[in-house]
Amino acid sequence: MREAYVIGAGQSPFGSYPDETYRSLFETAYERALDSVDGDFDPDRIDEAFLGTLGVGGRQIGLSGPAVTEHIGQHGIPTTRVENACAASGYAMRNAVSAVKSGMADLVLAGGYEVMTDTSADQTKWWLGVSGETEWERLSGTTFAGVYAQMASAYLDEYDATPEDLSRVAVKNHANGAENPNAHLGFTCSLEDATAAPAVADPLTLYHCCPTTDGASAALVASEEVARELSDVPVRVAASGAASGAVGLFQRDSLTSVPATVTAAERAYDQAGIEAGDVDFAEVHDCFAIAELLAYEDLGLCDRGEAPRLLREGVTDPDGDLPVNTSGGLKSKGHPIGATGTGQVVEAFEQLRGHGHVQVDGAERGLTHNVGGSGGGVTVHVFERGFGGGSA
Amino acid sequence: MTRGLTAAGVHVPRFRIESSTIGEAWGVDHASGIERKALPAADEDAVTMAISAARDALDRGNANAADLSFVGLATTTPPLAEEELAPRVVRALGGASDARTATATASPLAGLDVLERAVEADGPALAIAADAPTGDPAEADHRLGAGAVAFLVDDDAPVTLVDSAAHSDEYPGVRYRERGSEEVDALGVTTYERDAVGESVAAVVSDLDVSEPAGAALHQPNGGLPHRAGGRTDIDGAAIERGTVVDRVGDAGAATVPLGLCAALASADADDATVAVDFGGGGGALGLAFAGGLDNAPSVDERLSGGELVSYDRYLRERGYVVDGEVAGGGAHVSLPSWRRSLDGRYRLVAGRCPSCGGLTFPAEGACGVCHDRGAFEHVELPREGVVDAVTVIGQGGAPPEFVPQQERDGPYAVAIVRFTHSGEEVTIPMQLTDCDPETVAVGDDVRATIRRVYADEGIPRYGSKATPI
Repeated sequence: MREAYVIGAGQSPFGSYPDETYRSLFETAYERALDSVDGDFDPDRIDEAFLGTLGVGGRQIGLSGPAVTEHIGQHGIPTTRVENACAASGYAMRNAVSAVKSGMADLVLAGGYEVMTDTSADQTKWWLGVSGETEWERLSGTTFAGVYAQMASAYLDEYDATPEDLSRVAVKNHANGAENPNAHLGFTCSLEDATAAPAVADPLTLYHCCPTTDGASAALVASEEVARELSDVPVRVAASGAASGAVGLFQRDSLTSVPATVTAAERAYDQAGIEAGDVDFAEVHDCFAIAELLAYEDLGLCDRGEAPRLLREGVTDPDGDLPVNTSGGLKSKGHPIGATGTGQVVEAFEQLRGHGHVQVDGAERGLTHNVGGSGGGVTVHVFERGFGGGSA
Repeated sequence: MTRGLTAAGVHVPRFRIESSTIGEAWGVDHASGIERKALPAADEDAVTMAISAARDALDRGNANAADLSFVGLATTTPPLAEEELAPRVVRALGGASDARTATATASPLAGLDVLERAVEADGPALAIAADAPTGDPAEADHRLGAGAVAFLVDDDAPVTLVDSAAHSDEYPGVRYRERGSEEVDALGVTTYERDAVGESVAAVVSDLDVSEPAGAALHQPNGGLPHRAGGRTDIDGAAIERGTVVDRVGDAGAATVPLGLCAALASADADDATVAVDFGGGGGALGLAFAGGLDNAPSVDERLSGGELVSYDRYLRERGYVVDGEVAGGGAHVSLPSWRRSLDGRYRLVAGRCPSCGGLTFPAEGACGVCHDRGAFEHVELPREGVVDAVTVIGQGGAPPEFVPQQERDGPYAVAIVRFTHSGEEVTIPMQLTDCDPETVAVGDDVRATIRRVYADEGIPRYGSKATPI
């Protein structure tokens, strides 16, 4: 199979922009992605697009993908709208990589978009639980905060972990997000702020939960030939691992692990030819603080029950051995559902090209981890700086 | 003929309020002779109370719901003004689809009416009265309570029906509810109303072939009326006392007199006679006379003395008097046919056992959740007791919109992943907790499944299992 490279990536600011539309937000991300390409680039060379969105609020339920590509002047290209809840654009990325690797396309646009803050409070509630298991899980009375809180309750019961460990995720990610001009909640918070915040779903406080966010992100995925022509420092897609899992938490073997993450990560490490955790940084899916702890363990960055130690010892701080969520993560950068997966790719692209807002020294390889719902669909991508074989 | 009552079951909601609390709130007490009354929780109604009382009766009678040939449900507060509700109860209990059903709703008289029909039926039968009337909070509401009682009827019964008598005349305005209204009312023409009840009850009692009953459950919308009506008969005050429960449960509509009957039968000896006489608002009256005592009846006195007292503001919220219940639509939606397809899982916790690996999957559809093979599941009914594996509390603002009206009424609720074990295999189900302080539920707690109203969609109430701490 051919290699695939990211030669450009960009995101709109993440935040609350109720007067923007999903099309206008994506236009911003697209323009920024085009601007990030090193060489002189004609956008008409884009062969195809895969765009992720959940479609919160309903809006354009059918054909919103083509509506976006027509809006940005990509007239006539084949466009597929991908829906895998919060992993929609992680999967859009995977589709783009597949298209390039298979030889069906040489240059593919991957991206995602979501508008979440323009709907009424009542309407928003209808949408926050739509990606969980609907018939039993939602109708027991939970939305996502509740499901992740259940995971947190089981984790705190099973391991030597405290609510303060959950707060450490918020403190770290807010500190990173405060450096990111594109972050939705770009402010710092203290351990006390996070722990003493109002409960959303016990044991999760407000600071243990990501915001609802408007935003869009885009990545340009190219064949090696196109990458060599257009990019000075391309980012190689070393692996695209993905896996599905039971959509409802109650349908899984473990309440303190996301099995689809374990499987997707194993596949990604195998493809990339690396050992678990053999990366310089990771962008993980921290929709709720407990999710970041579970991600450390499911991705093999540490043993079971060891995630709190990583946080306490600063291992995942920007100056630690394995920085996690230098962008601010979903917690601080924000979580515009369909835009999150390729938003993580934007951070990986910038880190590997030395342009991170919180730059990791000597970053050569990083991973992105995108979870749909509470674990029904997961992608793990591994990215490496330069052309394969170290010939950058 | 020895057909009659073989067992009884009772459900009284856990919330209670004292009449003095209501009296303090309004500056006047319209609950004469009622000390305290029961209040249904926000997720309880006539259907859920009926199911609970019926399960109690079946358990006490060691009877199997599948053997029932008749199930009658009496209530003046059906969750839907028009619809047969008894089939829901039959389905929830796991009854047979060829069982005869009856849903009687016109007046409190419905309780004794379905009881007589159960006795007239052949084979094991169940008569349930479950009611939770509501009225003008300023007045009629003060005395309105809630409760349910179910009688199991069969041959060779310790309590036999020895006679029944009826009386009918036109007495409008004594107890009525206008079309489309949820408020039971009375015109309040005092002497006229007392005479209507008194004459009707006395006429029925005089027609009943019974002398010196040891217990008498007489029409009891308040504490004084049964004694006043009984004064026109030769039934003594102690007997009436044994059949009077309104002072502790409130006017529970069609369930009050049957509850009183249950209380009287529990203390009756084998050679005692017991009568139950109720009055339907428009002028109908029905009386049943029984012989014998019911040793396995639940202690109504005990059920009425427990409970959790609530403040008046909590009372108003639970009642729904100050919540409009309107929810904007959109997002995820489970269609009624999809919901119906899942009823065995929701009511009876039916899981699927995999023919390949023996593991359990809930709900019982799709591939096996353990080995992922696609064989035909063997359906197994899980035990109703389980263990909390994970739990959180959903506060204001965190509930899916389907649960917003309930939360506005009942406050925050806990949601757990509950583990059930059947023949050594485990399976987990997401369940809402009810009848408890949500903050006290923890991982490792034992819980029991109980059927409550889950939510209403497009006007149709939907019922399923929730969990209560044991």
